Amino acid sequence: MTRLNNPVWSGHSLRQAQGRLCPLLLTLILALTFSTQALAQEKPIALRGGKLLTVTHGVIENGVIVMQGGKISAVGAASSVNVPSGAQVIDVTGMTIYPGLIDSETQLGLTEISAEDMTNDLVELSDEIMPHMHTAEAFHAESALIPVARMNGITNAVVAPDSGDTLPGQDSFIQLFGSNATEMLLIRDSAMPLNFTGDQRRNKGGFGARKFPSTRMGLAAQLRQAFLDAQDYRTKWAEYERKKADAAQNKDKEKDKEKDKKSEPLPPKRDLKLEALLPYLEGKKTVVLAAEGPSDLQTAVSLANEFKLKFVLNHISHAQPVLDYVASLKVPVIVGPIYEAPKEDERYDAVYSLPAQLYKRGVKIVFASYSAHNVRNLPDQAGFATAFGLPYEEALKAITLNAAEVWGVAEQLGSLDVGKTANVVVANGDPLDVKTDVKQVFIAGREVPMTDRQVRLRDEYSKK
Amino acid sequence: MLHYVWLTTTLVLVSTAAFGQSEGFAHHDIVIKNAIVMTVTHGNITNGSIYIKDGKIAAVGETVNAPVGATVIDAGGRYLTPGIIDSHSHIALDDDVNEATSPITPHMMMKDAFNYQDKAIYRALAGGVTTSLLLHGSANMIGGQAVVIKHKYGATRDEMLFPNAPRSIKFASGENPKRVYGSRDQLPSTRMGNFAVQRQALVEAQDYMREWDSYNDKIKRGDKDASPPKRDLKLEALADVLRGKIMVQIHIYRSDEMLTEIAMAKEFGYKIRAFHHALEAYKVADQLAENNIAIATFADWWGYKQEAWDAIPWNATMSMRKGVRVAIKSDSEDYTRRLNQEAAKAIRYGGATEEEALKMITLNPAWIVGVDDRVGSIDVGKDADLVIWNGYPLSSYGVPEKVLIDGDVYFDRSLPGLGTTHYKEGE
Repeated sequence: MTRLNNPVWSGHSLRQAQGRLCPLLLTLILALTFSTQALAQEKPIALRGGKLLTVTHGVIENGVIVMQGGKISAVGAASSVNVPSGAQVIDVTGMTIYPGLIDSETQLGLTEISAEDMTNDLVELSDEIMPHMHTAEAFHAESALIPVARMNGITNAVVAPDSGDTLPGQDSFIQLFGSNATEMLLIRDSAMPLNFTGDQRRNKGGFGARKFPSTRMGLAAQLRQAFLDAQDYRTKWAEYERKKADAAQNKDKEKDKEKDKKSEPLPPKRDLKLEALLPYLEGKKTVVLAAEGPSDLQTAVSLANEFKLKFVLNHISHAQPVLDYVASLKVPVIVGPIYEAPKEDERYDAVYSLPAQLYKRGVKIVFASYSAHNVRNLPDQAGFATAFGLPYEEALKAITLNAAEVWGVAEQLGSLDVGKTANVVVANGDPLDVKTDVKQVFIAGREVPMTDRQVRLRDEYSKK
Repeated sequence: MLHYVWLTTTLVLVSTAAFGQSEGFAHHDIVIKNAIVMTVTHGNITNGSIYIKDGKIAAVGETVNAPVGATVIDAGGRYLTPGIIDSHSHIALDDDVNEATSPITPHMMMKDAFNYQDKAIYRALAGGVTTSLLLHGSANMIGGQAVVIKHKYGATRDEMLFPNAPRSIKFASGENPKRVYGSRDQLPSTRMGNFAVQRQALVEAQDYMREWDSYNDKIKRGDKDASPPKRDLKLEALADVLRGKIMVQIHIYRSDEMLTEIAMAKEFGYKIRAFHHALEAYKVADQLAENNIAIATFADWWGYKQEAWDAIPWNATMSMRKGVRVAIKSDSEDYTRRLNQEAAKAIRYGGATEEEALKMITLNPAWIVGVDDRVGSIDVGKDADLVIWNGYPLSSYGVPEKVLIDGDVYFDRSLPGLGTTHYKEGE
């Protein structure tokens, strides 16, 4: 058995680790350099002796998990799991092992320094209807923010455009480790946000407004027109396809070439905006419907229903008066963030307790950091929600399995189950507690270098 | 200025007495028993008790002597800490945080903008905050003078002012003044501009101070013809900084600027109480410790602007180990509601002890505010500003059950509605 040769991992305090950091840091930097070349897990790894939070089949004390070929190949009690020969066996006694965490809305890869515009690719504000913006095409895989997030066990995330437009573009679903953007972008155009919170209004109503849409009715009319245009567009293309098929048939029948040329139909002009809406109109992909209060929520839902969109809800931080209605929709909710301030007349915990209130009504909930720099704090929110009544298991599911289900990747992610991608986190305690320290992260069975820009600065100035 | 402070204090004392009598919650003798008392200064007392008399901590220990008639609060074995102190806040000022019309505005008094009815005060109270330092914003190199409040939500405006709190002034540096004035093609638009503006103001204050000193000398010598110089509120405030009568709190990010501010303070002979934000303190922690400058920092915020790019979550513990007094503050209506969780991050990043982490949101910010002799720990003689938690406070799970200020319960989670005792909805 070996122990990973990493000062953070082996539980030494910062102070104890000083003096040994220099050669180790070098090793880590080298490890990072090489691992970016190696795409696949090289040899099986077995973590032995830890407490496994499987998410799907309870907690296993003194468990073993085996990772092979990038996937989980065995999970169970130490007594019942056979470790393959040649596996690297790591003693994780005293550690808690859980599946990689999934953040259901981030801006990872779309920003570096918030106040520096040239580092931001968050949202295209020139128009409200921008479904043809693909976050995958702006995603910056080398962002310094990504290692910071994954160091705390976040292994997967939704990358969404900022909410300045009603239809700001399409999300990506990423893995937070890989040699390049292609490898990290697990799903391009994974979903599409539709924001209806009032914040999308241009110069906000009133007699002074100069730009449409400056009101909610303007936003709604514009959205409705966009979906109607997309329906028309679909019809036009369907007609064209039909005519083309007819023409092809006629071609077979008739031999007159002159006549044949005349009957060849012309394709409609391609429109990228409308084209981008089609998978959503057809219910093939999920719309992420964002609203805060009861009125906006119901307006947005009726709009979605009008066009038979498949949707999940986002935020609904101030929908407390209509939670039964929310439950009746039978769709998952990306809730919060629960740190959203309550309304003036509301109790201090009106939003803190929202996850518990939704769960009680049978709603599937997931959490999101809605952040880029603070993605690492995703589990804190889940933990805090338990202080206001959300059962612990549900809180953990909300950042693992539930999220995997919402984003259509539950076959691969979200729990410690055989056959799933080996995204596995080793920590010195409860994943939802703010003071828990993550010691090692595995992504697709690969040992992620436990370093980032901040660790390097820490170590540099610890030596001085 | 001194006269002004004295007057306020008198008003506070008078109105407290009147309020107490008419509303029927004069300070009773209270005993909190059966608590894990986290004293901050002398360890934890499991199964401890506190005797509160006249709003002050009169005794603390495994057992306390208290009169028979004292009201007993059974903490049910829960944790009890001092009230949290937020040493950097802008709540309850509505939008009047920055008088961004000139880079030098030391005569702005945050108290004049203080909106004691702001619900943010209540929401912070529910998170265990009992004292906050409400500061001017960072648009100006020298902003206004802070107000210190106690979160007695539902009390009168004057009752919420921390009695006899020392004066603090907000200085700033770096990107914010640069951006605010630079975007208007005004001075300052660079860091050298920033410091030139600051130095110019201090030089003028020196002249002003000399004029007044010479006038006062003449009066002392019996010169009846001496005519007083014209009073200038701006320069008067800065003269008080130079006289050491106002504590200097500086918004600052980069370590090089910290060294420049230290040099500037030496040049003009004033002391810096604390660097706020101070995300690069870990780079110059020795110099900060040497000059007895505290930091009020974030637990793990970073990257929101260029000067926050070198922020690391180990800043608090690394600075602490070099002997710097470290406070974790909110600078946020949101984070002020859960500073206990932010402090717990110091345990995770760099292995602070429980007591060290707790100190970062109690005794250390109390020192920064200048009220560490009155609040910030559970010691005899201090104000009975206390929080009973439903779980371990240095975790994601601990939530305040009851919050007491000056021995009165101001928040009780078990109550319906807002959980407030002094504030009634609709009033």
